[in-house]
Amino acid sequence: MRPFRLIGSFMRASFQEDAAYRTNFFISLFTSLLNLLTGVLGILVLFGQIDSVHGWTLASTLAVLGVYLVVSAVRGLFISPSFDSLSGMDGEIWSGAFDFTILRPVNAQFFASFRKWRLFALLDLVLGVGVLVAAVIQLGVVLSVWQVLFFLFMLVVGMSILYAILLIFAALIFWSPGVLFTWVFDGLFQMARYPANIYPGWLRMVLTWIVPVGVITTFPARALTDSITPVELVVSMLLAAALLVVASILFRVGLRKYASASS
Amino acid sequence: MTRGIFTPSRGGWALIRSTWLSWMQYRSFFFILAFGWMIPPLIYLLVWSTAAGEGSISGMTRGAFVAYYLILILVNQITYAQTNWTVGDLIRYGQINKVLLRPIPPLYDALASEFAGKVVYLVFVVPILVILAFVLKPELDLTLLNALAFIPALIFAWALRFFWGYWLALLAFWATRADALLALQDSLVFLLAGQVAPIALLPGALKTLAVILPFRYMVAFPVEVITGQLTRPEMLTGFAIQVGWMVAAVILYALLWRYGLKRYSAVGG
Repeated sequence: MRPFRLIGSFMRASFQEDAAYRTNFFISLFTSLLNLLTGVLGILVLFGQIDSVHGWTLASTLAVLGVYLVVSAVRGLFISPSFDSLSGMDGEIWSGAFDFTILRPVNAQFFASFRKWRLFALLDLVLGVGVLVAAVIQLGVVLSVWQVLFFLFMLVVGMSILYAILLIFAALIFWSPGVLFTWVFDGLFQMARYPANIYPGWLRMVLTWIVPVGVITTFPARALTDSITPVELVVSMLLAAALLVVASILFRVGLRKYASASS
Repeated sequence: MTRGIFTPSRGGWALIRSTWLSWMQYRSFFFILAFGWMIPPLIYLLVWSTAAGEGSISGMTRGAFVAYYLILILVNQITYAQTNWTVGDLIRYGQINKVLLRPIPPLYDALASEFAGKVVYLVFVVPILVILAFVLKPELDLTLLNALAFIPALIFAWALRFFWGYWLALLAFWATRADALLALQDSLVFLLAGQVAPIALLPGALKTLAVILPFRYMVAFPVEVITGQLTRPEMLTGFAIQVGWMVAAVILYALLWRYGLKRYSAVGG
């Protein structure tokens, strides 16, 4: 259980850093609420004009937003803070501080992925779960334990895909210090606020299988309404596994290329 | 520190030129920023045009939504107030000292990055919009009157958003975390400036708010003018409110600048 103990101490250390800036808490709360408000109002305005788009109703679209908020919260909780400390001109790889990271007696990928936590993101998590609950109530379905488990499973598949993509971007830093890939991805990821099926055909395919941001949010939401086909289930699991393997290999190759920052 | 705020000078143009050259060096960075700003309206373009399908929503067909949002993306890029963030940071980190020491009004510094930025963004955005227009086939009934009215509406929208952003940024003289207000402002622009939906489609109370508050006049108003969504009286009232808010923003900017500078002492000085 060593990894969990380590994660616990990473969380404690990050929390102590954050607790020094207490006003940031209120500002985070404020921006989280704004984010929630604009997301929900956007959907309400759309469905105030129309009952359904390509079979998506207010309730099921709200479920996608809920998943989007939850996934973004988990990303903001540790994935982004951890990877952000590597990238950029003041990041560890550019400055050479990464030396101290790889000297530690833990797996480098594990350490690079879990070491920084932004516990304020738990607020976003709570709000996201709130939207999900509201969506399920709106849907008017009674979920069985299996459905909830299946939903959580799809959520984990989606999160793994997101994690793998972000790890690939983090690994690319070994070749160039740019953070530009992540920004382009963030732009596309915003599209995952809405069900992939709401977009025109060609874009739906791109968002589902090429830049699979649709799988990350649309599939878990569809799990709630039992509309995932077995083929989609298998393909999305394979996609997650393949991306995780590729990302991990790329990170290792990049690690071997790392030659510190001495002149 | 008394200085004419609006006196033009040769130094001003030199600064604008040099800022532009330095921005062109970081093209790819700004292209990515422009890409990021394009995405939200693009999402709503796709969502609304899919929703309209073969029919229409409140009188807007698929093609009308495409035209509305493509023009909105352009207007949003032209009027986007980057000074919102940069001026506040300059004050917080004390780097505004450098700007204050120059023998030209500090407003030029903001104007310089404004022009430099806008040109760089447009180099990226215009070709993309042209391609999108070919793919998505907008429908636009352009009348000469609407096209002519679009020009002042766009200029006022830019000036309003620029000075509005500037006065908000100047709050950094008083509060170090004024950027929370900027986040609020971004959300309001998103909701009430015609991005999430054309103003005409907003539900009752939001629509009234949108017409009264300044945000519609920063982005949506010029778009509504050129796409012919407004009747003649609506257009005239729109211009009146827009100019009113613009004057208010300039006055706020001038006041806050004067009192803020008196309060200001550089970090670590």
